[in-house]
Amino acid sequence: MNRVRVLILFIFLCLLTGCSNDMNRKEIDEINFIHVMGIDYMSDEYILTAVYNTGQGADAESTDTGKEEIGQGRGATPFEAFQNLRLKNKKTVSIANTGYFLIGDRAAKKGIDYCIDFLSRDETVKMESLIFVTKGVQAEDFIRESLDNKQVIHEDLEAIEQKQGELVKRNDNTLVNILNELENNMTCVLIPYLISENNSFLLQGYAVFDKTTLVDYLDMDTSSGVNFIKNIIKAFPIYLDNNVGLSITYSKCNLKSACEGKVIKIKIDLDFETAVKEVNTDKNIFTREELNRLTGMQNEYIIEILKKAVNYSVKNKRDILQISRIIQNRHSKNWKEFEEKWNDTLPEIQYYYEVNSKITKSFILSN
Amino acid sequence: MENRINSTYIKELFSKSSDIVVRPIKINQNNLIIHLFAVDGLINDDLFDQAVLQNLKIDPYLAECKTERQLMDYLLMGGAYHVFTSEETDYNKLIKSVLSGMVALIFDLEEKAVVYDIRKFEKRSIQEPTEENVIKGSKESFVETMRVNTALIRRKIRSEKLVVEKLTAGKLSKTDMSLVYIKDIANPDTVNKIREIISKIDIDNIPTPAFIEEYLIENKASIFPQVMYTQRPDRVSSNLTDGRIALVVDGIPFVYILPCQLPMLMQSPDDYANHFLIGSALRFIRYMALIITLFLPAFYIAATTYQSQMLPVQLSLSIQEAKQNVPFSSATEVLGLLISFEILIEAGLRLPQAVGTAMSILGGLVVGQSAVEANLISPAVVVIVALAGIGGFIMPNQDLSSAVRLIRFILALLAAVGGFFGLVIGLIILLTHLCSLSNYGTAYLSPFVDVEERNIKDTIFRFPVKYFINRPEDVAYKNKIKQGDIKDE
Repeated sequence: MNRVRVLILFIFLCLLTGCSNDMNRKEIDEINFIHVMGIDYMSDEYILTAVYNTGQGADAESTDTGKEEIGQGRGATPFEAFQNLRLKNKKTVSIANTGYFLIGDRAAKKGIDYCIDFLSRDETVKMESLIFVTKGVQAEDFIRESLDNKQVIHEDLEAIEQKQGELVKRNDNTLVNILNELENNMTCVLIPYLISENNSFLLQGYAVFDKTTLVDYLDMDTSSGVNFIKNIIKAFPIYLDNNVGLSITYSKCNLKSACEGKVIKIKIDLDFETAVKEVNTDKNIFTREELNRLTGMQNEYIIEILKKAVNYSVKNKRDILQISRIIQNRHSKNWKEFEEKWNDTLPEIQYYYEVNSKITKSFILSN
Repeated sequence: MENRINSTYIKELFSKSSDIVVRPIKINQNNLIIHLFAVDGLINDDLFDQAVLQNLKIDPYLAECKTERQLMDYLLMGGAYHVFTSEETDYNKLIKSVLSGMVALIFDLEEKAVVYDIRKFEKRSIQEPTEENVIKGSKESFVETMRVNTALIRRKIRSEKLVVEKLTAGKLSKTDMSLVYIKDIANPDTVNKIREIISKIDIDNIPTPAFIEEYLIENKASIFPQVMYTQRPDRVSSNLTDGRIALVVDGIPFVYILPCQLPMLMQSPDDYANHFLIGSALRFIRYMALIITLFLPAFYIAATTYQSQMLPVQLSLSIQEAKQNVPFSSATEVLGLLISFEILIEAGLRLPQAVGTAMSILGGLVVGQSAVEANLISPAVVVIVALAGIGGFIMPNQDLSSAVRLIRFILALLAAVGGFFGLVIGLIILLTHLCSLSNYGTAYLSPFVDVEERNIKDTIFRFPVKYFINRPEDVAYKNKIKQGDIKDE
């Protein structure tokens, strides 16, 4: 009986050896891992610009990860461009380790869904890879400029990701998240945009997509307002006009909704705590009266930021605050009335603000 | 004449053995001649002179013994100057007793003998355990002499319920063994089974532990150790109180413990010598090391050859850089280095200690470093194999360590042909095999696979002693409570 078992196992192993070709057997050094991929649209064709390490130039003793190179593929669709990129490359290219996808301005205006559809169907792609829009420029130009400036592009993008992590509780610009957002036609998809300045990248705010096409870029304060309302703010600086600087250490935003007839009322209920970070005044601010006054000032400061996001939504009839999702979930009966003319309903929404805050820490031992 | 207790026959039987002494002794003037039968070198000379010869020569009462029977009766009824004196009527038993170091007085007319147990042969003194040494704890270890070992156990458990049953195996060697267990706690079925197995051992000699082990294990095809061995009396005593059975074999400086389960092989005496949190951390590291040593080489092969997307970006880049100019595939690198590692270990064991150290330095450092510099292997593979290799030696049980080393090869081979698919197939086969193993009625993976979880408290983590209330569920026969339920005050 044991001999039969051993024989079966041996045959199985022999059969398994035949599988190696069908299982994408490829040594790791025979693959070019794309770290960053730019997706552009120009002259009726898509251009994919891939940044990968060649491994050349790195020696055993250095911590350098080798030289970054660019590969490019063109095609009528992003997938065709990717196949073109594969054909042109000496080694197998893989997007399995791609952490960042940069969507060029024109490609974003053409439609984000075109850009990321082929990614969503690749079984190796990381669903948590981040998507950014390059404001006003092609992703290719963005990448080439950074390489010309001797920047290591994936490290700079990693730094951006870390900064994002310090300011917000979660990154909503992951591939999987954006794919989910695209399924909802009522809300605007928001993707952070990058600008290049003084040999480094800056994250300035959100690019607004109406359904799938890029329509606008939000400024920094409006984007922060969106983050407050989405309840993803982790830290935020407040600069008051009497030379007092504070930093938000905790914030919680709750959107309360009510449908009264055809009127939607949204109450933005924000609680936050701050710590004093800078005091450049001779006046003692650590008295009860002064602290109360500062609290009031910081409340007004944040309300202004909230209002910028709300005003943008009202003025442009774009649901950047994802109000439709709230109404859909909490007032499903009323939702049917609003569904068809949702964009026209957006300016009619009545917003109320209730902001409560306290200053918790001074970090000065004597006070 | 054959197989009868007779000096002439015995003399003839051992005529060519110079170490066998068969010589006549005349008792006083009664014309009573008895024969001394002993093995030179196995007896205590001083005690022999004092307890046997002096007794036979100067005891005045012997003059009154007219017949051999009277003389025998006198000696057995307290006339002999030694406490361990007995009558022997069976020829085979007499031969065995004398060959194990006893002295016999042969009474030809009676065809009987009086046997004195005055054995003394060269033996090692009790030393520190070499394999299971602890910083905080007992420094005693077993030696090659069975009786010393049983005495060490008896010193730990001073209970009338401790049974030390004598058995023999080996047709020619007639190796003594002691089956040690605690009555009412050890399962009598298991005791009977072990006794039966030993009685059925039909082999001339038991020169190495493997000879006895192979008879004791139930699943002979399995590479996993199914008998636990220990050098430490305290470990034996704790297993005995759990309901397990110990087998002490003469000539082997450790004691077997049955039934054996995998978690036992991951326990070290140090775990119980330290604070329970430290013990738990050490135990957890050991289990982690088991996983690392088993799967790391295979994981590396699978990840670098098939599913490179499994690796984080920076790690895959580092591996890629390291592998740039290496001409071999990852599988060849890993398997080649694993084989080299085993060769180094074997060479280190066979060579004298001083040369072995030099060999390790030469093989491990010089050749390894040169191979990396010559781009024959990548530094990442050296790290992987070194981690797996060192991880393998963390196992407290060397048999388990050897088993893991072999399985590591098989898993690496499976990963080389099938990537993670092959690795998972290997894992399934391994788990199925482990789950199918049973050891004297207990599951090998017990208590991980037990329905009752109360014995899980001494597995991956070592809980405080107050939680060790029950004996192992499927090991202990009755009296399953080990200690009172200690309540916090």
